[in-house]
Amino acid sequence: MIEVSSLTKTYGKKRGIDRISFVVEEGDIVGFLGPNGAGKTTTMNIITGYLSANSGAARIGGVDVLEDPVEAKKKIGYLPEQPPLYLDMTVEEYLNFIFDLKLVKDLKRKKHLNEICELVGLTDHFKRLIRNLSKGYKQRVGLAQALIGNPEVLILDEPTVGLDPKQIIEIRNVIKNLGKNRTIILSTHILQEVSAICERVLVINNGQIVADDKPENLSALITGDRKLTVRVSGPRDSVRRVLRGVEGVQYAEATIQAERGSYDFLVEAQPNVDIRKPMFSALARSGYPILQLKSMELSLEDIFIKLVEEKKKSYVSTSKQGKKPKSDLHVNVSESTSADFDDIAPLVTKNEDEPEIDVSRTDDQTF
Amino acid sequence: MSAIFKRDLRGYFSSPLGFVFVAAFLIIMNLAFYVTNILSGKENLKTVFSVMLYGLIVVIPILTMRTFSEDYKQRTDQLLLTSPVKASGIVLGKFFAALTVFLIGLAFTVIQVIVIAAFGTPNMGSVIGNYIAVIAAASVYIAIGVFISSLTENQLVAAIASLGIFVGILLMDFSYSLVRADWLKAILYWVSLYRRFNTFYLGVFSIADFFYYISISAVFVFLTVRVLEKKRWS
Repeated sequence: MIEVSSLTKTYGKKRGIDRISFVVEEGDIVGFLGPNGAGKTTTMNIITGYLSANSGAARIGGVDVLEDPVEAKKKIGYLPEQPPLYLDMTVEEYLNFIFDLKLVKDLKRKKHLNEICELVGLTDHFKRLIRNLSKGYKQRVGLAQALIGNPEVLILDEPTVGLDPKQIIEIRNVIKNLGKNRTIILSTHILQEVSAICERVLVINNGQIVADDKPENLSALITGDRKLTVRVSGPRDSVRRVLRGVEGVQYAEATIQAERGSYDFLVEAQPNVDIRKPMFSALARSGYPILQLKSMELSLEDIFIKLVEEKKKSYVSTSKQGKKPKSDLHVNVSESTSADFDDIAPLVTKNEDEPEIDVSRTDDQTF
Repeated sequence: MSAIFKRDLRGYFSSPLGFVFVAAFLIIMNLAFYVTNILSGKENLKTVFSVMLYGLIVVIPILTMRTFSEDYKQRTDQLLLTSPVKASGIVLGKFFAALTVFLIGLAFTVIQVIVIAAFGTPNMGSVIGNYIAVIAAASVYIAIGVFISSLTENQLVAAIASLGIFVGILLMDFSYSLVRADWLKAILYWVSLYRRFNTFYLGVFSIADFFYYISISAVFVFLTVRVLEKKRWS
């Protein structure tokens, strides 16, 4: 459905994206994962025909975006990073305008608009001026705009940015449902989002695709390091001594005093050792209760470093499978303990400009 | 194209901009009418039309400053450029929306003709010819204004730059009568929007001059289309 071959785009001397190629089959939901400035938006802008690549081609359903832009654009619904809204219009006026703009002919206007509003949860705000809507609702109007005309392909640039946790879950469900009969590309810098929605992930860093894989394989990589944060009630030095005494512990250090009389410890295990049970027993024996235990997830940056390393290795072995990490973990800690935090993390991190977003640390701050 | 035309036209009147334009235009026109026709008791409207041509210098930038600048700022250009509409459709939609707002303002000046007709006998042929000529001339101003707006995302810059260019054209017109060299005169005649209007002022409808205005508008519409298309390669 979407075919991108060796796209390159330079901004002056700076390289935006560098020979990006991939194919998305009909009905797939593909996630672009990468830090800010990695080239996600540039790639999307080229696919939608907003920008032109210096070299390479993008085809939508066999139509080249550059050769027949009008025909290609008819197939695409695009939600850019910043939803393109006319603030002086009501939601109703705006969606009607989009309906005209996209030259939708074969659908009944009123019914179609009502269906879309129902889908994204805008029905109660249909008559309101867009200027007066909150950021979350503006985002919904942007999403509604992309859906008008039932395009075969949806390109969504960070669709859940600026939404509150409840809305994020709602919108993710909407996207998942849409993905049943549409081809979707969405971009995000939030790891959990990819595993929640996408069937396939393209990890982009510095304008290049560093990994093309299923999210399960990626999340195995995320927990590949044996780092845990554990909150223990008890005096700092003696707890640390107990922790260091546990078999398999490579490193243990107190980070912050979390609550009165309890500390957070960063504990690192030796490779391929699950230290959680022995750690629990040791602390229990000493009479220091564990208040909280969770795995330290890697930040995106850490993952990129890993992926790039894996890629180098795979070049050596000349095997394409080489970039897939071997998952030899006993239990996936991150999924069991931090699942509840997944949807909070984006809200906390949404305004950060730095590409390194350490999800686990922001979790700590919110709770 | 029609979707963009309708949206922009609505946009002019959902903000104060359209009203400000019509009000400013009518203040200038009615002052001119009051001085040249009422106070002096003349029935010839041709002076009002030539004043209109100068008045456009001030009011057209109000009309065109936001055509594209506003879209750049709100990022709605991204919407327009990724929708199945050609760049020419986008530009023409916006151009005709601005022209329509001008026509709405112009329609109010018909009252002056009615007043004159009630108390005298205006030369209706000349009046109609002048109206057509003024619309053609205004389309040049609007095309230039839209073009300038497509170059910047700052409305104020667009307005001031348009004003500057219009005043520049006016100054070239003034210098026409001062220069002696024939070749320079020929160039200035080509650039000046005002010399061309003289034939209409004298009551002659010149097809050549009419098409001059239309072609210059077309050139600037074309340039605007190029600017939009070039944005993809930035």
